[in-house]
Amino acid sequence: MQENKPKTTISIGFLTVRHHPMHGFFGGYLIVNDLARPLEFHCTLPLQPTRAQQILYGATLNEFVCGEQIARALVTKAKCVPAVLFADTQAVLTLRHMHPLPVGVIEFQEDQAAPLPRPLISRDDFHRFKIFGHNVTMLREYAGDAAAFDALFDGSKPTLDLLEPFGRIEEALLEAHPATKAA
Amino acid sequence: MNRSEQSTIETAINASWLAQDLDISLFEPLLPTSPFDVVFNCDDQMGGLSLEPFHAPKVLPIQLSQSLPRTIGFSFPESPEWLAPQTKVEDSDHNKPSRVQPKKNEAESDEVQDEGASGNRGRVTRIRPPGDLVRLEDRLYYVLQPPLESIVQTAKLTFPFQPFPYQLEGIAFLFPRSAAILADEMGLGKTMQAITAIRMLLLSSELKNVLLICPKPLVTNWIREFRQWAPEIPLAIIEGDAAKRNWIWNNPQAPVKIANYELMMRDRDVFEENALHFDLVVLDEAQRIKNRNSTTSEIVRSIPRARSWALTGTPIENSVEDLVSIFEFLSPGYLRDDMHLKSLGNATRDYILRRTKDKVLTDMPPKLFRPADLELTGDQRASYRTAEEDGIVQLSEMGESVTIHHVFELVLRLKQICNFDPATGSSAKMERLEADLEEIAASGQKAIIFSQWVQTLDVLKERLAKYQPLEYHGRIPSGKRDAIIDQFKNNPKNKVILMSYGAGAVGLNLQFCHYVFLFDRWWNPAVEDQAINRAHRLGVKQPVTVTRMMSLDTIEQRIHDVLEQKRELFNTLFAEAGTPKNLGLNQKEIFGLFGLNAPKIQSKAA
Repeated sequence: MQENKPKTTISIGFLTVRHHPMHGFFGGYLIVNDLARPLEFHCTLPLQPTRAQQILYGATLNEFVCGEQIARALVTKAKCVPAVLFADTQAVLTLRHMHPLPVGVIEFQEDQAAPLPRPLISRDDFHRFKIFGHNVTMLREYAGDAAAFDALFDGSKPTLDLLEPFGRIEEALLEAHPATKAA
Repeated sequence: MNRSEQSTIETAINASWLAQDLDISLFEPLLPTSPFDVVFNCDDQMGGLSLEPFHAPKVLPIQLSQSLPRTIGFSFPESPEWLAPQTKVEDSDHNKPSRVQPKKNEAESDEVQDEGASGNRGRVTRIRPPGDLVRLEDRLYYVLQPPLESIVQTAKLTFPFQPFPYQLEGIAFLFPRSAAILADEMGLGKTMQAITAIRMLLLSSELKNVLLICPKPLVTNWIREFRQWAPEIPLAIIEGDAAKRNWIWNNPQAPVKIANYELMMRDRDVFEENALHFDLVVLDEAQRIKNRNSTTSEIVRSIPRARSWALTGTPIENSVEDLVSIFEFLSPGYLRDDMHLKSLGNATRDYILRRTKDKVLTDMPPKLFRPADLELTGDQRASYRTAEEDGIVQLSEMGESVTIHHVFELVLRLKQICNFDPATGSSAKMERLEADLEEIAASGQKAIIFSQWVQTLDVLKERLAKYQPLEYHGRIPSGKRDAIIDQFKNNPKNKVILMSYGAGAVGLNLQFCHYVFLFDRWWNPAVEDQAINRAHRLGVKQPVTVTRMMSLDTIEQRIHDVLEQKRELFNTLFAEAGTPKNLGLNQKEIFGLFGLNAPKIQSKAA
């Protein structure tokens, strides 16, 4: 069959960290092309913060575990480097301190019935902007990264739903860690 | 963190908690210290006492491991591209790989209508891995694919009509499966779902060559549906003489080949001789292989293939053995005849998708059943009584030599009398039918009349001449059948079409017709349902009125009771409600129709 071969020009990262009351933190990282097709997927094994981490990081524990541990591990493992990284929890934003990848968090309506809820953080001093109708937050000190998001799809309407890949990651996490399904 | 580190931290924590618990009021206040400008001699003040050695406070380090969490990762170098197809101009010769344009503004799709669009906005239909897929990487491959709505949108796949949400779920069900039965109720669009799943698998390069096998009368229907739903896919139709067929079988240009069951009998050696292998074999009306010992079943099971799909609205027509036989094609040895119904249901759940209209098409006009339970005319009753009494006497006199065929002969004779009195031609059913048709024709509507006998249809044709009835049954050559359907659809003078269950029960789309008459009853309720659903299909705009004609206090009524039990079996398996009391019209029941005892050694009848 003859086919049109649209040239894929960008890849986009989607990263989520979820918390399970018994098993701890799970991270999943999906890189897709501009047609939403999966290119690469990574997930972490369940991570329980140590007592030492709980003592030392206190109120910022989630930021340390999600951003500096899980997100960093995932982004480092991936072979493909996306143009930007979308996350769905602000706890991941601290990744930016240790990795040059522009990170923005898309605001979600928290689903109370989600099998694996997102970790929360208490700070609220973020840089906020809008992209394709979605509210996005990033660390104030990296506000310049917003330009990378604006450049996505050359400013035209995206060909993919920016929220949808997170659903895939969550399902993949449940698939990879069947024990979490029971909770 | 190692055990030593953990212990150290815990000690420190315990120490800090201890300090918090102390009550400092218990300690005496410290004395004021001497001013710094007072110099005193240490030796004098201490009286020669020596100082205790200095002990520094103990430092408890909290060390954090610098290692990052372990990860599992997969890349998808062969991730489907889902490239948008280019449509090409139509090629009239089916046997050359052809590309056809979708027909625009076609009045009615055979399977769907445009009402599906409204239900899809914001909807997400995910491809889920089948239960028999074990490797995590394989399962994640499907889990991580975008939802079907996204694939359709970004690949710019066009459809003549927006699929219904349940149809997308059907496509998502078929897509990852190497063995599957799509068992939707007739009229819900199994054809469209199979075609679209095939289309997406071809576009994603997961399939290269597909063989679709259907009953001969449905080949043209499949071609038409492919033109509508996947116009870019070249088709090759297996037809013609042996040399031509051989060439077509070996033609690699067409990724989809369509063959009919009848031809498979003649071409059974082709696969071995040419080492043919298919990525997917789809059986339409898969109940054709319900007898696993039939030649048809043996042939299709022998086709070398990677994936096997079966499409049928009636995976069980008579007994669970029908389903087991279909599974012999899908996954040989997976099921056994002696499995308990509940085990069977559990074992097949992941392989079968069945939806019914009342569950998924809540907006669809209903089927209105109107039982026509009729008393025989005087002439019919007299003939019937004589035939029955004589017949039973004959059967009784035969003693142990009576066979199921003798009983069947009597059943058929009595059923024919229920239709028309053999001596006078009088018929209670005919009287009722004429009255109903008068009203239907007057309102500009059309009707389908089913009978199991062509002879009965012949009589009906004569008696209903003023409605210019068309015929569609086994004596009509297959080459003329499509034209008859077109004529019935388009010519307002033809108010009635007379169909036999055998020829008209499957694959036809007559949703423009809102009245169905079952002049006599078939042996099997599933076949009756298929007949009814020729009219009650997607696209139907009005309720479909089904008139089931039955003569009271006759063999028809007794058979009806048994048929209802068969229906119970079907519903039981798919509703997982337990074990039914009866599994079909067995020999005991057939003999029981006349109060006879079945001989000890008899083969199973129906």
